Amino acid sequence: MACLHDHSCEDHDCSSGWTLYEHIDLPKVSALNEAVPGSVKSVFKAWEQRLNSSGLKFKRLLIEIQFRNKKAHWSYFLLQGHLESNEGDPELLVYIPFTSDVKIKSISVVGGVDGTSPSKMRAFINKEGIDFSDAQGMQAVQEWDLVENFQGTLEYQTRYSKFQNVASITLHFPNSFGGDTTKIEYIGFKGEATKLKRDVVATIVYELRPNPSDHKTKAEGGGLSHVE
Amino acid sequence: MVLEATMICVDNSEWMRNGDYSPSRLQAQADAINLICGAKTQANPENTVGVLTMAGKGVRVLATPTSDLGRILACMHGLEMGGEMNIASAIQIAQLALKHRQNKNQQQRIIVFAGSPVKFEKKVLESIGKKLKKNSVALDIVDFGEEDDGKPEKLEALLSAVNNNDSSHIVHVPAGPNALSDVLISTPVFTGDGEGGSGFAVAAAAATAAAIGGSGYDFGVDPNIDPELALALRVSMEEERARQEAAAKRAAEEAGGKGGEPSSKSEDVTMTDQANVSSKEDKKHTDDMVEENDLLKEALAMSMNISGTGHSAGDTEMSEATSADQELALALQMSMQESAGEPSSQTDVSKVLEDQSFVSSILESLPGVDPNDPSVKDLLASLKNPSEKDKEEPSNEDK
Repeated sequence: MACLHDHSCEDHDCSSGWTLYEHIDLPKVSALNEAVPGSVKSVFKAWEQRLNSSGLKFKRLLIEIQFRNKKAHWSYFLLQGHLESNEGDPELLVYIPFTSDVKIKSISVVGGVDGTSPSKMRAFINKEGIDFSDAQGMQAVQEWDLVENFQGTLEYQTRYSKFQNVASITLHFPNSFGGDTTKIEYIGFKGEATKLKRDVVATIVYELRPNPSDHKTKAEGGGLSHVE
Repeated sequence: MVLEATMICVDNSEWMRNGDYSPSRLQAQADAINLICGAKTQANPENTVGVLTMAGKGVRVLATPTSDLGRILACMHGLEMGGEMNIASAIQIAQLALKHRQNKNQQQRIIVFAGSPVKFEKKVLESIGKKLKKNSVALDIVDFGEEDDGKPEKLEALLSAVNNNDSSHIVHVPAGPNALSDVLISTPVFTGDGEGGSGFAVAAAAATAAAIGGSGYDFGVDPNIDPELALALRVSMEEERARQEAAAKRAAEEAGGKGGEPSSKSEDVTMTDQANVSSKEDKKHTDDMVEENDLLKEALAMSMNISGTGHSAGDTEMSEATSADQELALALQMSMQESAGEPSSQTDVSKVLEDQSFVSSILESLPGVDPNDPSVKDLLASLKNPSEKDKEEPSNEDK
């Protein structure tokens, strides 16, 4: 299911809906089978910059991340503004956590030219640490057949009821349009963010032995406490 | 401080009975593995390590990734040798074990000890490597033991298929006097990607060097343990050498002798730079030295032109550098002069201590010690004839 923009964009602001990129937890975004580690982060940007593959906007962020890891290739990131898979293997897996729970209405993907656009997209919700064998075996929440979309005007709608409380989404691109690699210039999400945060239980205190003093109720103050 | 889950693949095939890595190849592996586990856990307490054997009846996982070192130690004990190493399935099973690690935030790493011949084709290894790279698993290969035709090439091919951004490494360890674990300590297998674990590695390196008997260091004194003594020894050695050179030059020509002193200081600087071990204490001293290098060059230039002023500049250089441990340096100088006759292959510190003039000068600098005290004189006498009982007493007295 796809919608086509067949009106000129001067009438209304097309970019207003594509604001979910602000809620992406960018340092935790990761991808499997990317040619340049960390290049996946350059793919999430404002709708206006979706065709801008120089990635200059993210210069500072990327340098900061790489500097902390003490890797010397951060200069590479100034030029590489897109995500590319390894040579000869067009499969890609992108893990995107959000800073708060979001509802995703639709997704837009801009691929590369010459058959390097992804042909299919499969989404998994709220699952961490998926790798390729998991992705190939599991049933996806939703799958789309993509078309080559160089202008970023296509959006793929989601089954909204399934995308209500999304803390993280994993996108699996199994194939490209015949190219040797898969290139992704831009991934955009349209929807709304809630302020809620889906978190695992962080601190749990276990008792090895019950201590009556920890279990005093108000009624039993003073005098002997009776533990039943 | 990288959060990592590591699976170590041990080679327990028949080839591991060989004793070219003492005491046996299998034991050498066990020692190395224990050190690696310690290093990983020290780098980050949440790191986990697991072990599997590659040979025997088949690939067997002895311990899934755990941070409990005792469990790893226990499973390395009583390993039986036999069979042939199956490197392909071992790596795949290691990958599976890592996939099911408890903490998904950990980076995945496999360390393979490849001691026996590799019977797989290069293509098979390369496809395994690609699969590892695709799932962002790093691989460290320790190539030791059997030196097969083509084994290094196959392992290098595997490494280049896996290697993503220099996170994977290969180490070739030939048989020799040094133990397998000692050789590995200085490699990226231990030190990670240049950070993390380096503290452990440096400490371990220091311990092993001291055990070897200071063969790795110039004066038998580890700069990590006692940097001032090592520095003083080095300085005095240089001064002695420089003085001898100066004396030789003076014999040849009059003017060259005065240029000898500043040039000796520059030699000292270069020697300090070359012998720079990766220890933080040593770095401080070398930094001081290097800063004076510029002044030194001026001094050298001046000394070449005008011997008179150059000499005085050189003198000031000397005093500035040694002002910190001037007394100690002079004392050592004296001792070096006395023992200059015998080229001391024995660089034991006790030998230096036996020199009475040196010891008395040291004692003079110590507060509250009177060299004429009878107990101190006894101490000096006993040091000349080292006997177990006497040594215990003075050492207790000293404390």
